[in-house]
Amino acid sequence: MKQLSAELFSSAAVGSPTMVPGHGGAQTNPERWVDEHGDCLFRYALVRVRRREVAEDLVQDTLLAAIRSREKFAGQSSERSWLTGILKHKISDYFRKLGRETSFTDLDSLADEFSEKFVPEGYWVHVKGPKEWKPEPDEVVHRAEFWQTMRHCLDKLPERIANVFMLREMDEVESKEICSMLSISESNLWVMLHRARMALRECLEINWFNREK
Amino acid sequence: MGTNVEDSNPRPPDDTSAIQPTGWLGKILVWTISGATPKCRDVVRILSEQMDHDLPLMMRLRLRLHFSVCCWCERYMKQLHYMRETARRFPEHTDEAGGPVLSPEARFRLKHVLNSQ
Repeated sequence: MKQLSAELFSSAAVGSPTMVPGHGGAQTNPERWVDEHGDCLFRYALVRVRRREVAEDLVQDTLLAAIRSREKFAGQSSERSWLTGILKHKISDYFRKLGRETSFTDLDSLADEFSEKFVPEGYWVHVKGPKEWKPEPDEVVHRAEFWQTMRHCLDKLPERIANVFMLREMDEVESKEICSMLSISESNLWVMLHRARMALRECLEINWFNREK
Repeated sequence: MGTNVEDSNPRPPDDTSAIQPTGWLGKILVWTISGATPKCRDVVRILSEQMDHDLPLMMRLRLRLHFSVCCWCERYMKQLHYMRETARRFPEHTDEAGGPVLSPEARFRLKHVLNSQ
């Protein structure tokens, strides 16, 4: 985490909690945020950026931003969703900065990974083609094992491909916006998204949908 | 799918395509539609692009036609939407998804930084 020395750990640095009244009668207490939402925010950040130090920084930036804007939190959504929303913005900012500094285009990963799924003429090998997926999303969201499998499959994707997939599908950023954020061409983005979807689909089918049968 | 390709690429029992390559009419229909529409390898790429931008009407019609002989590409399209719907809900389910948590040191540092504000 940024600019903090080891001396903090030996001092009585953590002050007593201060309750700050927010709107709608809600009480906001940053220290409680760490206890109640810290792990959840950290896990989400880690799925997105894959590095502990970066994920910790993002959580810190999120909570600092939350302190600054807590007066605006009207209690219309849960505190968790409010904080997650701020974290998503911080993640976008992080990738925008990274996009200026490094190349995001990855056309090498998974280039030919799924050739065994198709016959040379370009049709599915029928017995290896996609199976029906049951149950429906509304039901599957209530199963913790599904989310564990989803995380496992996202973790297995090549990093850049996972980054663009999650920007597109988790944050719902439009593809043009992703291209300008990361300085990549639209056609390259489509190739990367296609590979992400193909690989994630395959992983979910093997580890979740077929496993249930 | 061409007739010869069909013979060497058997359809599993869960094939739910509307038009089956059975009987001479079925074989001709499957062969004709397969020839007139993109190959599955291209269809999956086009379906992914459709998640990010609109396709021309003619292409959408060709995909519909393709689905009539290929339940696998149609399932693929549904699964792209399935993944979108579930991925969007992932942030609400991070607790269930498990994974590493904040270290005690990181938790301590966070609290210190927040309290110093």
